[in-house]
Amino acid sequence: MYLLLRRLIISIIILISPNLFSHGEETHTLINKSKADMQNQCVESTDIMRKQHFMFLYHQRDKTVLKGLRTKKHSLANCIDCHVSYDDQGVAIPINSDGQFCQTCHVKTAVNIDCFACHATVPRGRKNPVENKNNLSKIETKSNMLIKYFAEHGNEK
Amino acid sequence: MGKIILTRFIIEPKIFWKIFFSLGFIILVGFLCSHYMETEGHHVTGMNNQIIWGLPHIFAVLLIVIASGVLNIASISSVFDKKLYKPLAPLSALFAIAFLISGLAILVLDLGRPDRLIVAMTTYNFKSIFAWNIFLYSGFAAVLVIYIWTMLDRTVNRFSRYTGIFAFAWRIILTTGTGSIFGFLIAREAYGTAILAPLFIIMSLLYGTVVYYLILKIINYYQKTLMSEEIIENLKKLTIIFLFANIYFLFLYHLTNMYITKHLEFEKFILLNGGIYTLAFWLGQFLIGLILPLILLLKEKQASHKSLILSSILILIGSFKAIYVIIIGGQAYPLTIFTDYKIVNSTFYDNVVHSYIPSIYEFGLGIGGVALALIIILIAIANLNFLPSQISTTKTINKK
Amino acid sequence: MKNKQNITRRDFLVKSLTAMSIIYVIPDIFSKTMASNKPLNVEVSAQTKWAMSIDTDKCAKNCTACVDACIQENGLYGFDRPDTDPQWIRKITVQDIKTDKVKTLPMLCQHCENPPCCDVCPTGASFRRDDGIVMVNQHTCIGCRYCMMACPFKARSFVHENLTQQVTNTPRGKGCVESCNFCVNRLDHGYDTTACEEACHKEGHEAIVFGDLSNESSRINKALKNKNNKILRSDLQLKQRVTYSGL
Repeated sequence: MYLLLRRLIISIIILISPNLFSHGEETHTLINKSKADMQNQCVESTDIMRKQHFMFLYHQRDKTVLKGLRTKKHSLANCIDCHVSYDDQGVAIPINSDGQFCQTCHVKTAVNIDCFACHATVPRGRKNPVENKNNLSKIETKSNMLIKYFAEHGNEK
Repeated sequence: MGKIILTRFIIEPKIFWKIFFSLGFIILVGFLCSHYMETEGHHVTGMNNQIIWGLPHIFAVLLIVIASGVLNIASISSVFDKKLYKPLAPLSALFAIAFLISGLAILVLDLGRPDRLIVAMTTYNFKSIFAWNIFLYSGFAAVLVIYIWTMLDRTVNRFSRYTGIFAFAWRIILTTGTGSIFGFLIAREAYGTAILAPLFIIMSLLYGTVVYYLILKIINYYQKTLMSEEIIENLKKLTIIFLFANIYFLFLYHLTNMYITKHLEFEKFILLNGGIYTLAFWLGQFLIGLILPLILLLKEKQASHKSLILSSILILIGSFKAIYVIIIGGQAYPLTIFTDYKIVNSTFYDNVVHSYIPSIYEFGLGIGGVALALIIILIAIANLNFLPSQISTTKTINKK
Repeated sequence: MKNKQNITRRDFLVKSLTAMSIIYVIPDIFSKTMASNKPLNVEVSAQTKWAMSIDTDKCAKNCTACVDACIQENGLYGFDRPDTDPQWIRKITVQDIKTDKVKTLPMLCQHCENPPCCDVCPTGASFRRDDGIVMVNQHTCIGCRYCMMACPFKARSFVHENLTQQVTNTPRGKGCVESCNFCVNRLDHGYDTTACEEACHKEGHEAIVFGDLSNESSRINKALKNKNNKILRSDLQLKQRVTYSGL
C-alpha cells in the first residue's frame, strides 16, 4: 500500500516538474544590438509571447502559405527582422546561432527549432514594399497616375 | 484431421547468436547509411532531379511485393482449403509481416524528411494512392496479426477461414495499390496504365512463392521437419504456373505499349537501344528471371531441391532486374514535352537519356532492410511456436 | 484657354479640394493596369487568375535573363552540381521536326488547373492555391518526390543538400520539393509581375508576359488576343495557365 502511494507521489512529482522550471526570466544576452532591444514589448505582451509564440507561428504559416495572408504581426520574417542582432561591423548575426535570441531559451528548454532549416536566418534579399497603413501613399500613387495621364494626353481642351 | 503441432525453432545457441549478430550488423550499417543520407542530403546518393527514385525504392517495392506474395501459401490453405499447407500457413503470414515492415522501413528512411513521419500519418490527401497505401500497409500488418492469432489459437481457429479470406482480399488490394503507384502516373510512357496493378499481383505471386521456399529451405537446414516430397512437388507446380502467368502479363504490357504509337519510342528504348536497360530487361528480367527457371523446372519429371533452389535464386535475380527496368528504366527516358519539336539542348537534361549510378549508401540501406526482415523472422520463430514439428502430407492428414 | 491672372485664395482652395476629391473618387480603373495593390490581410481568391504567356518568336537564343532573375529573386544558389542543383525555370532549345527551325523557350511549372502533382501528393503539400498558383507547402512536404515523378514537364526540383543562404522571401530547405511559384511572395505583396517577366522586359525581348486573366485590360489578355497561344501536351488535358505562342 505504502509502496504504491510512494510510487504515485514520485510519478506525480516527475510529471509536473517541467512546469516548475518554466524559464520565465530568460532574456537574450546581447543588449542594444537588435531592433527588438529598443522596444518595450513584442507584437504581443511578453508573457503571452513566452508561452504562445509557437502557436502564433503555427497558425500564421498556414494562413500565409495556403491563403496568401501576409500580415506582419505574426510573420516569421518580421520576427527575424526585429530580433536579429548586428555585430560591430553592422553585419547581421544568424538568429539561430549560439547566444542569439532563439537559442538563449531553446537550449535551456531543450526544444529543437526546425524553422531555420528553410527560413533565412538573417534578413536577406529583396525587401518588400511597406504595407499601406494610411491613404497617403494611395493618394500619391493616384496623383502620379493623373500627372502621367495628363502628361501623355496634354492640354487637349 | 491429424493434429498440427507447432514448436519453436530449435537451433544451437552459438549458431543463433552468430546469425543474429551478423544480421544486426548489416541492419546497423543500413541505418548509418540512411542517417548519412538524411543529414548530408540526397546529393550523396546517385538519385538526382532526373532519376528521382532509385535503389532504395527498388528494394522497398520488391520487399512489399514479396510480402504480399509470400502470404500466398497461407491463402491457399485458408481460402482454397488446401490442407497440405495448413501447418506451414502461420509461417507464411509471419514472413509477410517481416517483409512488409522492412519494405516500409526502407521507404520511410529514404524520404527527404523522415522526421515528418507523423505529418505523413496524420495529414492525408485521399486523391493520392500513396495516402491510401499508408493505410493499406499498416492495416495489412494488423490484419496479419489477427490472422496469425486465428491460426495459432485453437479457441478461435474456426475463424481462420474468414480472416484468411479477409487477408487475401486485403493483400490483393494492397498489391493493386503498389502497382497503381506507377499506374496512376500519366506523365511517363512507362506508367499510366491499368495493367501495372495485375502485373504487380502476378509478380508478387511468383516472387513470394520462391522467397517462401528459399527461407523454408534455410530453416529446414537446421530443423528438418518442414518439407515433404509432396510439398516441394506442389511448390514446383505453383512456380511453373506463376512463371507462365508472368510471361503472359509482361508480353501483354509491352505489346499494348508498342501499339500505342506515342509510346513506341519508349518501347524501342527499353527493348532495343537502351543500353543497360535493354540488357537488364532481356538478360535479367526475361532470360534469367523467367525463361531459364522455366526450362529448369520443366526439364525434370520430379521436383528436386536442387532445381528448385537454383530456379528460385534465378527468379529473384530476375525480380530485381524487373523492378529496376520498371522504376529506373521508366525514369531514364526523357519526358516528351513537345510533340512537333525535338529538344536539342537543355540545362536540365531534357534531351538526353538519364544515367543512374547508385551510391553505396543506397545499397547499404536496401540490404539493411532485407536483413531487418530476416532478423524479424529469426526472432519470431525462435520465441514463438511457428514451425510444424512433423512433416505433414495429405496422407497423414486424411487419416483420422 | 484661361487668362493668366492672379489666383485668389478662394479659387486655389476650391481647385485643390476638387482635385483631391477627384483623386479620391477616381475608381481603380487606372490602378487595374498598374500594381494590383493586394492588401496583406486579404485572402487570395479565385477572382484572381494568374497566367503567363510566352512568345517563343521573341525569345532570344543566348539570353538567360529569366533564369538569372529567378535565381536571384529566390536565392536558388547551386553547388556546381548540375544533376542536383535546383532549376525553377530553364531555357530549352527545340528544333521543329518538319522545318528544322531552331527556337529557344523558357520552361517552368505550367501551373495546371488539374495538376497531376497535386493529385499524387500523399500529404496534400503540393496544392493549387485559389488564385491558380500551384506550389508546395514546405511545412507539410515529407520529401517523397512522388510529385516529381508525376509532373509531365519536369518542373519540380528536390533540395539535395543543407542550405544556409536562403533569401527571406523564399524559404527553402533540404529534403523538400520546390518549383516555380509565380513569385508568390511578390504577388502577395502587391506586385503584379514576376521576376522572369520583369527581367525579360528589361532586356527588351518581351517574350514573357504575366498577369491576371480576370482583368480585361491586363498585359496577359492583350498578349493572348494578339497571338495564337497553345498549351503543351494538350493530350493530357491539364489546362495549364502557362501558354506558348509561336510553336
